[in-house]
Amino acid sequence: MRVKISLGQINPALGDLQRNLGKHVEFTEKAINDKVDLIVFPELSMTGYSLKDLTEKVALSLNDPFFKPLLSKSKYIDIVFGFVEKGEDKNTYNSAAYLSQGKIVHLYRKIYPPNHGMFEELRFIGSGDKIKAFNTKFGKVSMLICRDLFHPSLAFLSFADNADFVLAISSMPLRGLKGQRPAIQEMVDIACLSYVNFYQLFVVYVNRVGFDDGLGFYGGSFIMSPLGNKNIEAPIFEEVLVSGEVDTEDIFKKRQTFPLSREEDLRVVYDNLKRILEERNG
Amino acid sequence: MVDLDLNYELVATFIVNFIHENVLSNGFKKVVLGVSGGIDSATVLDLAVKALGKENVYGLIMPYKLSSRESIDDAVMLSQLYGTSYEKIPITDVADAYFSKLKITDKMRIGNFLSRIRMAILFDKAREVDAIVAGTSNKSELMLGYSTWYGDMAAGMYPIGDLYKTQVFGLGKYLRLPQKIVDKKPTADLWPGQTDEDELGAPYCVLDSIMFLLLDERKTEEEIIQLGYDESIVKNAVKRIYGTQFKRTLPPTPKISSRTLGSDFQYPHDIMK
Repeated sequence: MRVKISLGQINPALGDLQRNLGKHVEFTEKAINDKVDLIVFPELSMTGYSLKDLTEKVALSLNDPFFKPLLSKSKYIDIVFGFVEKGEDKNTYNSAAYLSQGKIVHLYRKIYPPNHGMFEELRFIGSGDKIKAFNTKFGKVSMLICRDLFHPSLAFLSFADNADFVLAISSMPLRGLKGQRPAIQEMVDIACLSYVNFYQLFVVYVNRVGFDDGLGFYGGSFIMSPLGNKNIEAPIFEEVLVSGEVDTEDIFKKRQTFPLSREEDLRVVYDNLKRILEERNG
Repeated sequence: MVDLDLNYELVATFIVNFIHENVLSNGFKKVVLGVSGGIDSATVLDLAVKALGKENVYGLIMPYKLSSRESIDDAVMLSQLYGTSYEKIPITDVADAYFSKLKITDKMRIGNFLSRIRMAILFDKAREVDAIVAGTSNKSELMLGYSTWYGDMAAGMYPIGDLYKTQVFGLGKYLRLPQKIVDKKPTADLWPGQTDEDELGAPYCVLDSIMFLLLDERKTEEEIIQLGYDESIVKNAVKRIYGTQFKRTLPPTPKISSRTLGSDFQYPHDIMK
């Protein structure tokens, strides 16, 4: 199946929901005109990243009427975006929503919000604990948010759950400007190359651009195929909408050539993980 | 010595983007900066012109009677080279009125006072032309505390604040700043013959390597000394870094309420973006 995907590499305005919603609608309309099937926006695309005390001000429950314009666009295109979720449990979460055919199909809460060095997410939000590959028109999709991508266990769970696509949305601050490309960009590539080669699925990585309080987000969004190459790649530093087509048959072909998924025995993983946990807990 | 070289093409693009976005998203169009004739302000001048256009960069040259003639000439030359608006505002009268009245001869007090007069003028000019003050401090002087608190440290942003002096030289060369600016010995130019490296007791390439190992690589003092760095230079650098931490933090406030500046009033700087 051929799927046309847009990467909405935007620069969200910090804490300005209306402006960001406007940008989502504008980019989504362009993608609809280009006959795109799915558009993916970055982590916290609706709010910006370095929110700190603004977190509570921009938190919205997913059934908030604020999202109506995007929901109605989702009749024509599937949409993924990031926002601060006001949970039913009265906690806030760094969440991603998948909209399709005018409905909310899936909600994912970031499982590993980083809290060290320049990161202080857990001061202001809680962590999720559920990851699930859910059904879409294009196959099964799993979502990850930024730091989650550096935990191979989550990519593995997506693979174990038979995901065709991992949609990794990100506000990844730049660091390391010694080499040809930012050091952090190399690290993202290393992670994703491992996943597409060994979990044999598509990785759609969408990173934002712009600056929040001196943190610079580099962009460089891409789609990486199970064949090991990037189908499309956005430039660094530029706010841009980039679209490309992928063929989900690539997954089947790769797995026939190199049948890692057929070999994978989840019971071995489960039994050993259980033992490790039991031993760790004494 | 550690190889501190960076991909200066990417560094320049990144900082230019930062200046552009930081100035515009905070509701401004222009920056004001002090142009001294040294490499730090020349670098910021170059990047600010690329980010905002020469018509939006305003340079101030603020010599004291002991400032070298060469510094003033170079500052004028740079402003003319980049085609930016500039103004020469000598601070000798203002400063000497105070120094002579209070009979101040201490070099440190004089140096700090000159730096704070320049700060006051920069911020006044920023108000006049509706601009943000672009700081010209680099990471070496910020970390070593080799700068005046609320003097040259006062700014609306630090475009080169995460570049060691060695890296500012690398960036300056990449930007093709005039050779004499790149070749000049770093100096605060507070009195004739003063150089940073005499005052700091070691060349920047050594200090920057030590700071990189200590800060970026998290090595201990002992590990750095074992690598062959001079013990007294290492210890002096560490002492300077920790001894000047007060300059790099908000002043402590005795906490009384439930939301206090510096502890639990944590809005981002770019709140108006």
